Amino acid sequence: MSPGDLASALPMLRIRGVTKSFPGVVANDSVDLDIRRGEVHTLLGENGAGKSTLAAMLAGLYRPDSGTMVLDGKPVNFANPREAQSRGIGMVHQHFRLVERFTVAENIALGDTSQPWKLDTRALESDVQRIGEEFGLPVRPDARISDLSVGERQRVEIVKTLYRGAEVLLLDEPTAVLTPQEVDALFVTVRAMRESGKAVVFISHKLVEVMAISDVVTVLRAGKVTGTVQTRDTNQAELARLMVGREVELSSLRAMGVRGSALLSVSCVGLVASKRHVLRDISFDVHGGEIVGIAGVSGNGQRELAETIAGIRAPSTGSISVASQSVGGKGPRKTRAAGLSFVPEDRLGTGLAPSMSIAENLLLTRPRSLFISKRKVQAEAAQIIADYDVKAPGPDAVTSLLSGGNSQKVLLARELAASGDGATSNHVLVVASPTRGLDIGATESIRKRLDDLRQRGGAVLLISEDLEEVLALSDRVLVIYDGAMVYECDGASADRTTIGLAMAGAIATENSGHV
Amino acid sequence: MRVASIDVRLERRLAVWRGTALLVTSGSLLLALVVGGIFLKLTGHPPLDVYRELAKTAYFNWYGFTDTLGASTPLVLTGLAAAVGFKMNLYNIGAEGQLFLGGIASAWAGIAIVPGMPGPLAVLTVMFAGALGGAAWAFIPALTRAYFNTSEIVTTLMFNFIGLYLMQYLIQGSYSYWRDPKIVGFPQGKEIVDAARLPHWNFPADSMFGIAFPPGRTQVHLGLAFGVIAALGLWVLIERTRFGYGVRVTGDSPAAARYAGISIRGSIIVVMLISGALAGLAGAGIVAGQGYKLDPGGLAVALGYTGIVVAALARSNPFAVVVVAVLLGGLRTGADNMQSAPDNLKIPVAIAGMLEGAVLICALGGELFRTHRISVRRVPSNSDREEHLSGAVGVGVSP
Ligand SMILES: Nc1ncnc2c1ncn2[C@@H]1O[C@H](COP(=O)(O)OP(=O)(O)OP(=O)(O)O)[C@@H](O)[C@H]1O
Ligand SMILES: [Mg+2]
Repeated sequence: MSPGDLASALPMLRIRGVTKSFPGVVANDSVDLDIRRGEVHTLLGENGAGKSTLAAMLAGLYRPDSGTMVLDGKPVNFANPREAQSRGIGMVHQHFRLVERFTVAENIALGDTSQPWKLDTRALESDVQRIGEEFGLPVRPDARISDLSVGERQRVEIVKTLYRGAEVLLLDEPTAVLTPQEVDALFVTVRAMRESGKAVVFISHKLVEVMAISDVVTVLRAGKVTGTVQTRDTNQAELARLMVGREVELSSLRAMGVRGSALLSVSCVGLVASKRHVLRDISFDVHGGEIVGIAGVSGNGQRELAETIAGIRAPSTGSISVASQSVGGKGPRKTRAAGLSFVPEDRLGTGLAPSMSIAENLLLTRPRSLFISKRKVQAEAAQIIADYDVKAPGPDAVTSLLSGGNSQKVLLARELAASGDGATSNHVLVVASPTRGLDIGATESIRKRLDDLRQRGGAVLLISEDLEEVLALSDRVLVIYDGAMVYECDGASADRTTIGLAMAGAIATENSGHV
Repeated sequence: MRVASIDVRLERRLAVWRGTALLVTSGSLLLALVVGGIFLKLTGHPPLDVYRELAKTAYFNWYGFTDTLGASTPLVLTGLAAAVGFKMNLYNIGAEGQLFLGGIASAWAGIAIVPGMPGPLAVLTVMFAGALGGAAWAFIPALTRAYFNTSEIVTTLMFNFIGLYLMQYLIQGSYSYWRDPKIVGFPQGKEIVDAARLPHWNFPADSMFGIAFPPGRTQVHLGLAFGVIAALGLWVLIERTRFGYGVRVTGDSPAAARYAGISIRGSIIVVMLISGALAGLAGAGIVAGQGYKLDPGGLAVALGYTGIVVAALARSNPFAVVVVAVLLGGLRTGADNMQSAPDNLKIPVAIAGMLEGAVLICALGGELFRTHRISVRRVPSNSDREEHLSGAVGVGVSP
């Protein structure tokens, strides 16, 4: 055995018996984990299993209640992320921590105590350039963060950790916000890091990605490690089984009933915001009993379209009606009263008031009487926690302390409840990336619920960057590009290549030409 | 910081237990007393004796305690005025000026419109006028904040000075309607009619609950009831009504309020008006309960600014505002009453202000301990390393 083999055989980071409790939950329960150099190690588990908590402890954000972490033979006990960073552990969070008005280089220097008091911009920029080339992370050091796309910002975060000498990189659901092309680019970087002997801890709910990128997978369930497998010895079905304890199959779901009348009509809607045309002459209907999917690369007007339909923005031109009532520009409450509910892309902060409890958040989109009664929503919150398998201590749990997937479940549950529980419904649901961040079991159950609303006669407008999801659920697919609908096709017979081209702007219809 | 192999550091608390808040607040108060004590010592006063005397004259003596309640009455109202704004991250620094305008409006009502009215109606009218005056003074800052996003901190602060000079002008600078023309020499305000004066609570007999009291008039007047009812009303409004829910959502996340269709502008304007009305009530209480006239000297004693301290210490909880106001009111009363104390205990009145400041600073410092805890943990020292390498599990203890 050569010395190199020996080095890679000994774990670089050795975690033994690490436990972390929060009031009401044990998030990590005596977790053992070995991370080796040159290894991509995936943490897999249901929503609330404790993946983010474990990563946060490695990165110095939380301290374990008990247990040890040994890095390169030395026990470590980080007081804060900076200490972890100085020992070579860097984390990229799902919510980026970048200063929008600063340049890439300035952000990288920010908070780095090893920088001289006067910033040597030239040296910094050339270092950033070099790291970018080495790991396939093209970034322009002098670009402002506010001008960058989500994928580019993530690259900046990664460069930042590498610049500070990260040997272990923690990526918490990095792909949830990326387009398929960006995911491919990220994987190139991850592989380059593996080649250079660094370790990568990867968290994702998408099993395809997990199979594609990782060497080892550790599965967590309710805070405990239930198994560690080599990727080459396993497959997606087994991983799903390890994670949820049963077989899960995500299959396509299509309309089975008859198509009803148009419940949502959008006609000739245009929107000008900050003197830019963000929506151009958009027209489509969503009928009862159907799911219409809107595919597109993020930033092409999906968010504005959803907000306009939901009444949060007033359209500059055109009209919108819900169940034949004209609602365009009448505000969110009138729109909801007409029978539309909306699950926004940004959950915590828009869809949910972060420092309020689950119960109080249910009131956010309900008609509220002059005096609010907490008792009624308390019972309903308890029901949602049970029905949707939300991992939370109770109805009074503050939503910002829930795991990413669990807060998403609360939001979806609240908006789905507005469609009623009768055998038929003529409700309209506008939902953005419904299953982003959900584990495979929860994804299946949410898809079933969306399908159920469709079978009961409701109308669903599904907006997602996840093409797989759009294709798996939609009866019709629309592609949005630069604020205009550029392509439409049938869901069952959709051609991925054509849709991909349309998303990239390679197909333009007549109505995108003007303005 | 490392002490031998014990590791002590600050760690963020994940959930703040209610008791912690109380403990930390009391701890901060205690620390403030220590800081004040050092100051007293340096200026040649025996701290313990001064504190004992202060407590006796402010809280543990019936006349002193009723004086304290009287002094606290405006603080309850200005404290609530600041607290309601805090609920949605609005910083109304203008309670001071709104209080002056409340005083001006209520004095006018007490002179001009209530004569002839029966007592209760006269009192209500005068208080209502005060609330209206305060709200009016908050209206322009409310509008500019709601429509142009102008910082209400700056606008309300500027309105304080306008209010102060306006009030001084009305009494000292002109022969206005408010000034009493009959008094020559030192300019004074015209008195409001008797019916409009807030009744004071008088000890009815010389014994109550089996305790002997000296009979007589106290400084406690109906304004205190207005304060307590306002605290109760504010709590119900914020915690139990649709409007209050909207205010809390907006304070938590404006984007969520927009999503829910809660009018952020409307909430800003209404909250600012309520805040101004409460401060105006405080001014009306002073005019109708203490001086019976517009008296710039009696109104301009930083009650509005102290209200901000009260609300901060009370973490904008309306009930806590009442308690904190009484505590801080006692400082003022105690320092005043001690002017008749023996020489070595006779402390400058300014000491009350200094203690107030010390309390605020300590409380803000204490905030760190409310959200963080000190964690003490045994760290495996270097000699333990072998043990770790061989896989043995060392367990750290956290308190
Ligand atoms: N700061 C906190 N305070 C209280 N509870 C917390 C806190 N952070 C996490 N939890 C709880 O700990 C558990 C594990 O959460 P964690 O965020 O680690 O889950 P996760 O595996 O990352 O889930 P997801 O896939 O949904 O992101 C959850 O039940 C969560 O509610
Ligand atoms: Mg997570």
